[in-house]
Amino acid sequence: MAGLEAEQIRPTQLTQEEVRRVCEFLYRRTGMVFADSRRYYIDRRVAERIAATQSDSFRSYFSVLRSDANHEIEHLVNAFTINETYFNREEHQLRCMTSSLLDNIVGVRDRREAIRIWSIPCSTGEEPYSIAMWLMEHWSEVDSYNIEIVASDIDTRALKAGAQGIYSERALMRLSQNVISRYFEPLPDSRYQIHPGLIDSVQFTRANLIDSRDMARYRGFDIIFCRNVLIYFDDSSRRIAAENLYDCLRPGGYICLGHSETMSRISSLFRVCSFSEAIIYQRPEADHGAK
Amino acid sequence: MVQNDTVSPRLTIRILIVDDSSLVRLYYRNILERAGFEVEQAINGIEAIERVQAQAFNLVVVDVNMPKMDGFSFLRALRRSAPSVATLPALVITTESSQHDLDDARSAGANFYLVKPVSEADLLRHAAILTGRQNERIA
Repeated sequence: MAGLEAEQIRPTQLTQEEVRRVCEFLYRRTGMVFADSRRYYIDRRVAERIAATQSDSFRSYFSVLRSDANHEIEHLVNAFTINETYFNREEHQLRCMTSSLLDNIVGVRDRREAIRIWSIPCSTGEEPYSIAMWLMEHWSEVDSYNIEIVASDIDTRALKAGAQGIYSERALMRLSQNVISRYFEPLPDSRYQIHPGLIDSVQFTRANLIDSRDMARYRGFDIIFCRNVLIYFDDSSRRIAAENLYDCLRPGGYICLGHSETMSRISSLFRVCSFSEAIIYQRPEADHGAK
Repeated sequence: MVQNDTVSPRLTIRILIVDDSSLVRLYYRNILERAGFEVEQAINGIEAIERVQAQAFNLVVVDVNMPKMDGFSFLRALRRSAPSVATLPALVITTESSQHDLDDARSAGANFYLVKPVSEADLLRHAAILTGRQNERIA
């Protein structure tokens, strides 16, 4: 049966024009740019959606997509997002958060005010849960502040998986046995269930980085982790995303990008902060919203 | 620092943590469970009152600032409860450290009072003393 399903969703050969139309559609909706070199990936994802919607051709599928019948736009976006990650990825940034960033933030903060941390895109939850575990393991003031961890992604399937908190052994590869035993419960199928207390500590929401109206719902963050997503955008989408993220930060708030990403090439709004562990970008303290 | 070998392995010491933050509850739970305590949790004073009436505890660790029923209201309700529950030792945890707050904690019925951030050593020491696991007086 599985073989038959695989047969049914075998990549249909899309024409150059069909690929262009799908890529253009995705770009307008998400800012993600898919190059011709990823042609097989594109064909396969579109073939999956043609099969899932029982469309008999690309043309009929595309009209389903454009009319957004049965939330097809969301399904297509979900199919195209990449959710490969693991716990404590780019650990040096987590270390920087507890050794430098939080000290700078709480130094000028009333203890009654919440500290707000945002993981976007959060994929299936590994990053926001890593942040929560890292705070409990490495920040002695973790009990002194109301810490809000928000986790957002454009992929609603990934968000659902994050809120369930079940992970493969591979996702836990960077965690020590002590941390695993403290925060995970092994399941019979060799996967792991994360502690319900951690699930309660993270608020999962859908957000689209390049949609300014969507992003306007998110404000006042002290630290944003936005790693390894801007590489999928073109220059103009990157700039829009950077400006949106800037507005989501409090003045003086920090943003962490992936190791191969550089904010300086995208936007001049941010100040570059070189800490011993990592290079982090900051919304200047004196700036209260003027761009 | 409390030594694990001071605990009798046959004796279960059950602690109720009351805090509205799941992160903080998990943080305290990890510290206490590592030292051999059994830990239960409640998210506010109302739930905590229900828990202590339904199950026997040796100590309640309660945050002051909570929505619905705060730590002081919980303590006053606890001390007015049936005698078997009313004497439950209570360790109050708060962000404030003024004499006024200390007096409020005492008059609400706290046995001891710790100011955040609470270190692992302080939490374990006071948990051990208040549950009788460690034979020492708190100054």
